Amino acid sequence: MTTIAGSWMKAVHRPLASPATPTGPTPATTSTTVDPQAETLRLFQEHGTALYRFCRSVLRHTGDAEDVVQETFLKLLHHLQHDGDARNLKSWLFTVAANGCRDRTRWRLRWLPWTAERDDRTVDPIDEEVRLKADTTEADRARRAFRALAPRDRLLLSLRAQGLSYKDIAAASGIREQSVGRLLARALDRWRKQCVA
Amino acid sequence: MRCLTDIEVQAVVDDEASEEIRAHANACEACRARVSERRSQMETIASLVDADGMPSSALEARLRHAMSEASGVRGSTVLRANKPSAWRSVGLVSALATAAVIALLVYGVLPHFGAPTTLSASEVLSRSLQTISSGQGVERLEYEVAMDGMTAGPVVIRQVIDRDNPNRYKVASYRPDGTIATAVSQDPTTQQRSQLFHVDGTNYIVRVGAIHTPVLSIPQMAQALVETSIGIMQAKSDQQLTIEDGPAGRRYVVEIPPVTPQNPSATLDLFSARAVISGTDFRIQEFTATGTMLRQPFSVSVKLRTHEYIGGAVTNESFAITPGPDDVVIEGQADEDPITELMTTVLRELGRARGK
Repeated sequence: MTTIAGSWMKAVHRPLASPATPTGPTPATTSTTVDPQAETLRLFQEHGTALYRFCRSVLRHTGDAEDVVQETFLKLLHHLQHDGDARNLKSWLFTVAANGCRDRTRWRLRWLPWTAERDDRTVDPIDEEVRLKADTTEADRARRAFRALAPRDRLLLSLRAQGLSYKDIAAASGIREQSVGRLLARALDRWRKQCVA
Repeated sequence: MRCLTDIEVQAVVDDEASEEIRAHANACEACRARVSERRSQMETIASLVDADGMPSSALEARLRHAMSEASGVRGSTVLRANKPSAWRSVGLVSALATAAVIALLVYGVLPHFGAPTTLSASEVLSRSLQTISSGQGVERLEYEVAMDGMTAGPVVIRQVIDRDNPNRYKVASYRPDGTIATAVSQDPTTQQRSQLFHVDGTNYIVRVGAIHTPVLSIPQMAQALVETSIGIMQAKSDQQLTIEDGPAGRRYVVEIPPVTPQNPSATLDLFSARAVISGTDFRIQEFTATGTMLRQPFSVSVKLRTHEYIGGAVTNESFAITPGPDDVVIEGQADEDPITELMTTVLRELGRARGK
């Protein structure tokens, strides 16, 4: 089977939560008195929806997205229970979720029979009648164009849409921080061209 | 300065540009327009991602369930943890403990459900657990419990729980004729743990002092079970709500219709449930349920009699089993294992009585 994703599918193994300066609303939680389960649930309340939307955007499948979110927070629980670095956990969560999305995509390619629905190279199969109707609005064209983007472009734009900084996007996607702006700009250009195509 | 490249415009939109680039973007009309256009496009992208909606309410329940079952030890080559204390074994989770667990669920968690017609399952879960974790002070409850197969008839349970210190509690059960049946108390403040048994008309109190780090308490066991129970209730989407307006005010009756058990050996599951909730404070007044607990089928009916928060009148006596004039008190020393501790204390006393 043809590999449809490139380097973005390589898992990120760099030290996580490395930024010294926390970003976003997540406070630094280095206190040893914090209950890991309570902290995990608090972070789920705070970032669960954003993480789900990110995973849903990348995987384009609700069930898979929820599975990745659940696995991510279970890993967070394990991380906190073993006194892992509690700085910048938002970045940590998105990095682990991005890795989870890669694993899930790889698993699809290896083990599932080919279907248009699961092939990231294609847009969703839509009946001609529905397609004509859908194309009548600009919002639908924008949505279709976004879903037709390459996985890495969707990944980067989704991370940025969730408010991650270039530094955090670099950590989550495994690309150099200096390249994030360039790749984001190109991804956006490709999306714009898809919209008018 | 020259006009900005697309990458620099993107950096301005993403608030990652240098001061010099930002200054140019503000000064140059053409670049400002490009920034504005690209910002609008990024906002569209963000709206597309947000349009993917919210995770299902079942996700949080699944997560909680998975967290409660998550083990830190994996694989066959890792060192195994110490054998769990026998205190946690099923044997000691008597009808009293089971009743206390259910009562805590009914009177500690469900009262905070709020209006069941307006709150989502996720909000209910969040509010309930927040209330449990933020509970303060000493709470005293009295309720009537009937359990099939575990008690001869309805028993009255009286319990005192220190919400600030869950290891500090006292739970006692009384027979229909008013005589005490069993009692358990533990107080880290006085370092005492006591158990009362009523045998052949006499109360025997086994009291040990200098307890080590308090073992898992009934409220703590309830805390673990509450999360699972809430997850189960969230998963049941066919709740039926009936509103009753009577002389005592409005009451909500929430019912989970009987279902065929899919996994009768589940650790905890509800096959049917009915709760009568006060319309004034949303406290549950009555609760009946059938299901499985600790892989055993159960049927329980609970009716709240009284509930109050004790203020400054709390003393150590509130968490102690006070012996009556005819009661037999057996003193002993604490052990790491409360089961062994109980047996050792009783057998040692028996040996002394026989002159050995």
